Amino acid sequence: MFGATELSFTYPSGRKGLGKISLKGGPGDRVIVMGPNGSGKSTLLRLVSTELPSRPGMLKLFGEACGPSRRDFHRRRDLRKRIGIVQDTPVHLEDLTGMENGLLFAELYGLSRTEASGAFAALFTSLGLDDALHVPTREYSYGMKKKLLIAEALVHDPNLLIMDEPALGLDPPSRAVLLRILEERSGKGVCVLAATNEPALAQELATTVVLLYEGEVVAHGSPAELLAKVGSATRIEMHVAGSRPASLTTTDPAFAGLPADIVSIQNLPGRIIAESSSGPDVLPQLAGAVLATGLKIERVEIREPDLTDVFTLFTGQALGTEKEKP
Amino acid sequence: MTLPVWRTEWLTALRRRRLLLLNTLIPLAFVAPIALSSAPAVHAAAAFTVLFALFGTFGSSIPLIRDDESGLLRRYMLTGVHPGGLLLQRVFATAALDLMELAPSVLVIAAARGSSASQLAIVVPAIVLGLLAANTLGALTAALAKSVAEGALFSALLALLLLHWAGTFRTPVPGTWQATLEAWNPFRPLHESLLAAAGASGPDLDPALLTAPTGVTLAVLLLLTIAGRYTIGLGGR
Repeated sequence: MFGATELSFTYPSGRKGLGKISLKGGPGDRVIVMGPNGSGKSTLLRLVSTELPSRPGMLKLFGEACGPSRRDFHRRRDLRKRIGIVQDTPVHLEDLTGMENGLLFAELYGLSRTEASGAFAALFTSLGLDDALHVPTREYSYGMKKKLLIAEALVHDPNLLIMDEPALGLDPPSRAVLLRILEERSGKGVCVLAATNEPALAQELATTVVLLYEGEVVAHGSPAELLAKVGSATRIEMHVAGSRPASLTTTDPAFAGLPADIVSIQNLPGRIIAESSSGPDVLPQLAGAVLATGLKIERVEIREPDLTDVFTLFTGQALGTEKEKP
Repeated sequence: MTLPVWRTEWLTALRRRRLLLLNTLIPLAFVAPIALSSAPAVHAAAAFTVLFALFGTFGSSIPLIRDDESGLLRRYMLTGVHPGGLLLQRVFATAALDLMELAPSVLVIAAARGSSASQLAIVVPAIVLGLLAANTLGALTAALAKSVAEGALFSALLALLLLHWAGTFRTPVPGTWQATLEAWNPFRPLHESLLAAAGASGPDLDPALLTAPTGVTLAVLLLLTIAGRYTIGLGGR
């Protein structure tokens, strides 16, 4: 479906968007890209969708080379008809209804109005947009606009789906419907390339997870393979405030005497993550030790390891926070 | 053949009833006092021509720039639609909408200045041609502009320059390059026909006046179709 070899992109300001990324997705694959803001997720999606040119680098879509050159213009146009795109920000003609917007994009993809009407009726019902079919999209909430965008991306039965934060703004039932639809499409051979910051979504949906950091791939593999790298110890995540001693780790004297069940302590901007092999029982001792360092505990989360821990393992940074400045 | 962009332009315009009404009433409020006054035909025609040309140019360039800024044009392009075809549909749709909105103003000019049927027979195609040219110019200026303000500035500058070369403000000296340029200028028939409709004395206009400017407009439209991919959306991609 798609094959990217050393895809690169530098923004006009000189900021690196992406540096030599290679990845591929075949029929039925669900490739989920994760990374903090500015890591290059959206840039990667825009490169694969042919919206941005990759120089250097090579992109193959459906077996055909799809370079940024002018002579590939008509080929790119043909290939775009086989892609469905969900951008992070839904853009619609606000004066038109959901159905009118949908029909416009379906016709641009080359569908007849009759074909498109039938396909939209089913999609709108699945996504719970029936009541809003004939309402101008300016009256839609963000979530409704996102659902409409998803329906528009699916209506022409694309072979490749490119989705930027597809579940952002969706309520839990709609999120579940989206996952079901994507699994169904994937079962029919559609390849999904999506970017998200939701570890749960990635774990539920992905066949392959790609972790991006500062425009580079830091890890990739199936969710199970990646999770195996961080073990199964319970994570006790303390969101803290106050000036953080740089040396705060398991070897710090403040933590001497903590139970041996605490197998590691990671000291990240704004949070301390401890791994406990005996579950949350060690919390009182751990909290006491953290408070003794002068930090204030704002919130505590106890959870099983997820892909954010894999990201932290490879980058030393927490997913969802900006990179710590030296 | 389906024309989804053409249809969408009309649908959107008809949904924005307040804007449609304003777009009809504002030119009328400008045209009516001049048409009903004793202003000399030469001055009245210049005012009408400038209004009609700017109406078409601004009405084409500003929405295109806004749609580019909002990301709508990029969405269109990513469906695989041909950018030239998309631009053509937009230019023809907005020119047709302009014609509908300016029709009451044209009727007021004709009624107030007592235009003859033969004059109107030239005025209508000349306005159609002028609006098509103005909308094409708007699409081209939208490609150059990086903001709505720039678009308005470029549209005004280029339209006024073309109007000047069309002899709207000053008749060029025969035999000069300006006179040659005038004969091919798509705004010339607009100005000449409005001059006649506004009551200027002189021989009836020759329909051949439309030939060369029509050729120029169609050639520019063809170029716009071919170059459409460089002028909107993804910058050639």
